[in-house]
Amino acid sequence: MTREQFIQLVSDEQEALRGFLLALCCGRKDDADDIAQDALVKAYLASAGYQDKGRFRSWLFKIAHNTFLNHKASQRYFSDIEEARLVAGDSNADANYAHQDLYLALSTLPPKERSAIVLFYLDGHSIKEISQITDTSEDAVKKQLSRGRDKLKTRLKL
Amino acid sequence: MMKDKELEQLFLAQRPSFDDKDEFMMRLERKLDAVEYLRQYEEANLRRYKYAMVATFVLGIVVGGVFLAFVLQMPQDVPLIAFNASSGILLFLEQHSRMFATAALSLLLCSGIVSIISNALDIVKMKTFIGASHTN
Repeated sequence: MTREQFIQLVSDEQEALRGFLLALCCGRKDDADDIAQDALVKAYLASAGYQDKGRFRSWLFKIAHNTFLNHKASQRYFSDIEEARLVAGDSNADANYAHQDLYLALSTLPPKERSAIVLFYLDGHSIKEISQITDTSEDAVKKQLSRGRDKLKTRLKL
Repeated sequence: MMKDKELEQLFLAQRPSFDDKDEFMMRLERKLDAVEYLRQYEEANLRRYKYAMVATFVLGIVVGGVFLAFVLQMPQDVPLIAFNASSGILLFLEQHSRMFATAALSLLLCSGIVSIISNALDIVKMKTFIGASHTN
């Protein structure tokens, strides 16, 4: 893959990738964009081994997900939404206020449950695709989705 | 697995939009420029190393060839190495020292030629790859 081809593909997927990472980082745009940039550089370095099977998005999301797990942003999570709200304070001013509760609720999920939920509900991936992106079995993904959904519904009082 | 409708609505409503796409891509391009610069620097170093290897092996072949010529032009009834042994493996080595020396030097010369060809092909491949990536 040439650099121009890579840039073109990234331009098409940029919004989806940044949205995915923004949700994983619970609304922290700076963290999300830093992780996105790191992930894209890693993807560029690995692009020689990418075989064009029309699944660039899944391949890119897998790299982005691994980059997120290695970033300090993935190590932050809270026991409940009130604790998250206390810590966030005004620092989440750049997040869309109307959806801040969703981001705060996501920050109470462990990284793997958060990833599964975001990939399933925000990006519309299937269980099989999520298991390939996160490198876990389909059964584990289903459990993560089930647990994550229950926690989110409790914390958001849905 | 079925989606929870309420959560699905919440996530769809949350879907963000970004008004700084150009800045993001420019920042990425700058990082990729740095990556390309480092990559070319590393490849240049590797090419220099390969050139040095080729030169060393050529020198080795020349020196080996000189020794081989020396061995071949020695009188056949004079052993190359004298152990003054009367029997056993040392006597065998002494009697066939010319043959062993010729075989060893020939093997070294062949290895040197193969290494030269291998390194030369690597250099050509690197130059072709760099040329192709520039034209693309």
